[in-house]
Parts: sequence; structure tokens; C-alpha cells
Amino acid sequence: MSDQNTPTAQGAPGIAPVPFDPELLPELEAIAAEAGPALTEENLPSIRVAASFPDAATATAGRPVTAEELSIPGPDGAPDLEVTVFRPSAQSPTPLPILVNFHGGGMIVGHRSWEHSRIVDLVERHGAVGVNVEYRLAPEHPFPAGVEDNYAATCWVAEHAEELGGDPARVIVMGGSAGGGFAAAVALMSRDRGGPAIAGQLLLCPMIDNTNSSVSSRQYDGIGTWQRDANLLAWRCVLGPELAYSADAPAYAAPSRAEDLSGLPPAFIEAGAAEMFRDENTEYAGRIWATGGEAELHVWSGGCHGFDIYAPDTELARAALASRDSWLRRVLGRSRP
Amino acid sequence: MSEPSLAPYRAFEPDPRPVPVPYDPQLEPGLGSFLDLVERVPLRAHTIVENRAHFRTVIPDMASQAEGRGVVWEDRVVAGPAGSPDLEVTIVRPASVSGARRPGILGIHGGGYVLGTRFFATGDLIELAERHGTIGVAVEYRLAPEHPAPAAAEDCYAALAWMAGHADGLGIDPARLVVMGASAGGGLSAAVALMARDRGGPALAGQFLGCPMIDDRNDTVSSWQYDGIGAWDRNNNDAGWDACLGAARGTDAVSAYQAPSRATDLSGLAPAFIEVGSAEVFRDEAVDYAGRIWRTGGRAELHVWSGGYHGFGGFSPDAIVSRAAIEARESWWRRVLREQG
Repeated sequence: MSDQNTPTAQGAPGIAPVPFDPELLPELEAIAAEAGPALTEENLPSIRVAASFPDAATATAGRPVTAEELSIPGPDGAPDLEVTVFRPSAQSPTPLPILVNFHGGGMIVGHRSWEHSRIVDLVERHGAVGVNVEYRLAPEHPFPAGVEDNYAATCWVAEHAEELGGDPARVIVMGGSAGGGFAAAVALMSRDRGGPAIAGQLLLCPMIDNTNSSVSSRQYDGIGTWQRDANLLAWRCVLGPELAYSADAPAYAAPSRAEDLSGLPPAFIEAGAAEMFRDENTEYAGRIWATGGEAELHVWSGGCHGFDIYAPDTELARAALASRDSWLRRVLGRSRP
Repeated sequence: MSEPSLAPYRAFEPDPRPVPVPYDPQLEPGLGSFLDLVERVPLRAHTIVENRAHFRTVIPDMASQAEGRGVVWEDRVVAGPAGSPDLEVTIVRPASVSGARRPGILGIHGGGYVLGTRFFATGDLIELAERHGTIGVAVEYRLAPEHPAPAAAEDCYAALAWMAGHADGLGIDPARLVVMGASAGGGLSAAVALMARDRGGPALAGQFLGCPMIDDRNDTVSSWQYDGIGAWDRNNNDAGWDACLGAARGTDAVSAYQAPSRATDLSGLAPAFIEVGSAEVFRDEAVDYAGRIWRTGGRAELHVWSGGYHGFGGFSPDAIVSRAAIEARESWWRRVLREQG
């Protein structure tokens, strides 16, 4: 019996995967050898605690960047949100662009500190204000908790741009993996709700398609970073068993479900050729272009999911960072005050 | 029975036409120059000869291209495909060659399969020789409509076979042979990669497909978004494919060697680099080709540059997006030319 809520080919690889870039192999082998607790719903608490990353003070040590912890209002009736605001140490005579970041972790694990260093780098290189947002995780807080948190944070940032030393006309939403999915969703919500103007959406290997039905979602079943099983678990935690892999899931949970991708801010979409999200990312870009929208797409040969995080000192990661920087310069330069 | 139609193939027209993706504002001056200099006369069946003459005036000769550059060059005549005329080639080498074997690049020029000379491909070969120490061969292939497809692809394949067969004399490392080209040259590079797979060689280390012209059907969304708009618009594209394929165009008779998008099997190909602008006819066919390679487990890298027109790097070299495109290419060259350990 065919059920649209059952992803096809679960646990049944058989489509040859695109091979990984040779320079990534040592890191992939090291990750495989570490083999911590399996990513299951029961193990989520221990996995969340086990991963620790530098706090904001450590991430900014010796860098011309300051960090400030703030508590800002969450969505109506929901708890406040913790955010870390990074700014260049040197005072700027003009308002700075603002990067609002949502961290990765499948919407079920992770903490903003995981990505402090990525944001500090961008703040330093682009002279931007970085706002790194803590949102609620599934399954304790299923859809729409996380995405509403991230939308509320984006609205707050736009409204308080001047206090932050930022330019409300140059707010970029960004994130990797689950964070990329949130950034895409926030862009949709802001368009649909008449929310803050967003100057760009930087989507790094974004997690946007809950159906797990693409070829790439089946090519990385049991191999690579962020494997098919993890993705199946994550969508079930976010959407619950009924909608987990359904084509009827809401667009703000899984932006691939959006019927209309017109009128969105310029998008930067990046993926590895050797990861689950390759096909959904390529498709999202194609659907934006088909509406006449602006999108840039980079699919790096042999890149695993999050290759720049796992293996930053590689040709592939350096090249990917250069492309991101280029796009940010272009999109921020166009609306410079 | 009705008479066979004499009208050329045309894709079914969508109504309304899809809204085009806008150009990167920094690219607009270069696009203007491209249209003024290269596409002064729209390419149609009856303007091919006029466009060829004009194209020749646009491309500097080899001596001027190589002047002051760190390369030496020579013209040669090599064997064409069996039963076909010999081929003129230009070989571009680094001026200072060490004893070590160098990667070999077959450079295939663009021009819609109907225009251009090999000296439209030598600029890239000079750059690569300087930056990566490669030995390049630019091939003069036969043009349509006098020589319908796949004559050009067969010529290019013959040139590749000659490079592989003479690797010793040329100082080329046969394990690092790459085909490259842009536009029609990208399409021919893809065709040569398919031939090399199907015919059991020569082994290729890579295929560089710049904004490749690979699908004769001209019926993607992007092909309709640039109908009468921009560089190499869909009408030029119709003229090029009509010349290549005549009455066979758009039918099931078109082969993969004539239009690589027609290949039903994209497995087992050399690693591909595919680059295209988001604001050009070839966007969707390029993305589709990459996607189909990946789905077979093949290696491909895809870059779709936001707001890029067809060939934006050449006419807007100083735009931020053009510089980034060069960086991404350079990175791929470094990766693909790595010596295998």
C-alpha cells in the first residue's frame, strides 16, 4: 500500500552516491570513527549536552568584534528569546548591514554558540552587525515554535536596527542546514505577512524538503554527514507523525512546500554535490528563477553536508567561502545608503 | 496525407511569457557592449555569413593574443575524423616548460556552432598555461550549416584523440586531459566527453562546460525568459540549432553527440564543471544536465551566477560577480588538475 506519508526507499540505498571530494575523506573518516550516541529521539538530550562550543567571549577573543547578550521578545504568548549581537569594535559613522543567523542542527539539536565563529568571521569581513538567534527546538516545541521564534527575532531586529547600529534596509537572514530552512521560511513569512523588508537570504545547504523523496536524499542513506535517518527523525520531530513526510506540510515548516516562490528577496543557495539536500536546494533555486526572481546557486563537487564546517582548511571550503563573500558584497552594495 | 512541413522546428509558445530574471546591475554596461560589438546583426539563417565575417574582426589574431604573455604557440595540421579533412590546431604552451608532464586542455571555441574560429578559445588556453602550466590545443572544427552536427563534435573528438596519441611528443600527462569550452564550445565539450566514454577513450580528467549550448529543443523556462532579450537570446539559439540539425531538429532522431541534453545516460562521465548565468537562455538546460549527472552518482560542480547574462565574464570582467566566477573556476582547475597520488 502506498502512503504519501511514508518516504520511499527508506533504509534501501541502491542509487550510487556522488563521491566525496578526496580532500574531505580524512575528516569524514574521523567523524565516522568518533561514532557518538546514535541520533534518536531518546538520545536527543544527551547529544544536545555533549556538543559544546565556545561562548561569545571566546569566539571574539583577539578579534576586532564585540559581543553582547540580549533577551528580546518572542512571538505573542511565547517566552523571550536569547540572542547574541556581534558588532565591529570600531564605531561606524554609517549604519551597518545586519546578518540575522539561525543555527543548524536539524531543528532538533544545536545552539547558537555552534555558529558564533561563522558569524564573527562575517562581521569582521563585511563590517556587519551579526545577530545570532536562539530558537526553540523540536520535538518539545514542534512547528511552528522554532520558525515563529526566528520570525519574531527578525522583526525585532528590523524594528531596532538603529539601536543596533544597523541599517534596516540591509537585513540579511541566513543559516546553514536547519538554519537555512528557517531563513527561507522567514523570507516567505515576511513576504506574506507584510513583515520587514529583507535584503537577502543566505541559504547554506538548507533543509527545506520534508518529503525525503529526492534522489540525493536516497544517495546519502547511511553515508556522509547528516544522513537520511537523521533527516527522517528531524522532520518527524518538527511535524509530528501525520505530516512528517507529507506533501501537505506547511510551507513555513518546509519551504519546498511553498506554491509561490515569487517576490522573495535575492537568494544565495549553496550545497554540496554529495549530500542529501543537493536536489531540494537545486530545485528551490530553479523555482525562484522560473518566477523571475533572483537566486545564485553553487553546488560544490564532492561536498558533503556542511563541508566548510567539518573541513574548513580545504580548497573546497575556501572556494565556497569566497563565493559567499562575493554575493554578500553584491547584495549589500546594491542597497548601500 | 499532408505535405511534410518545410517550416523549421519551433517550441510551443507559452502564454504569457515567463518574467525574466533581472541582470546584476553591475553587468548591464558589459551587456550593452556585448550587444553592440558581438551581436550587431541578429543571427538568423540569412545572416550567418555576415556574422562570420564580423566575428572574425572581433577576435584578435594569435600573435596579438600571445604578446607579452608567458606562452609560446604554434599552428599544426592534424588528422581529422576518418574520411574527413585534416584539422588545423593551435598549440599553446607555457614559455618555460620543465621536464614534468603537463596537463593537456582541448579548447573548443563558441559561436553557436555556426560562427567563430579557434582563436576565440585561445585566450582561455593562454590563461591556463600561465596559471596552471597546462598545454592547450585549440581546434578548428567544421561549422554548420555547411557541416551539420555531429561533424563539429567528431572533429573535436579527433583532436582529443590526437592529443592523447601524441601525449609524449607534446609533453602532456595523459592522465590529466580536460576538454573545455563555452557556449557551443561547452556543448561540444560535453559531446566529446560522451564520445570518450562510449568509445573507450581517451580518458578525460574533466570537462569544463561554460554556459553550454546542449539542448536543441529550446523549450525551457529560461529559453522563453530571454526571447528577444539579452545576449544570445532564444532567436539566435533557434538559428544555431536550425543550422546544426535541419529537419531533424526537435525530433527523436537527434543524438546525444548532436545535442548532449538528448543523452539518456549521463553516468560514467568525466567530472564536470558547469557554469551559467541565472539570466540567460542556457540556465535551465545547464542545471538539468548537472542534476542528471549527480543522480547517476557522477561528479559535477554547478555555479549559477545571479543576474549573469550569457558570457558575462568576458564583457564585464571587473564586475564583482565576474571576479567571483573566475575564482570559482580557478578553484575547480586546482582540484581537477591535482596529480593523482
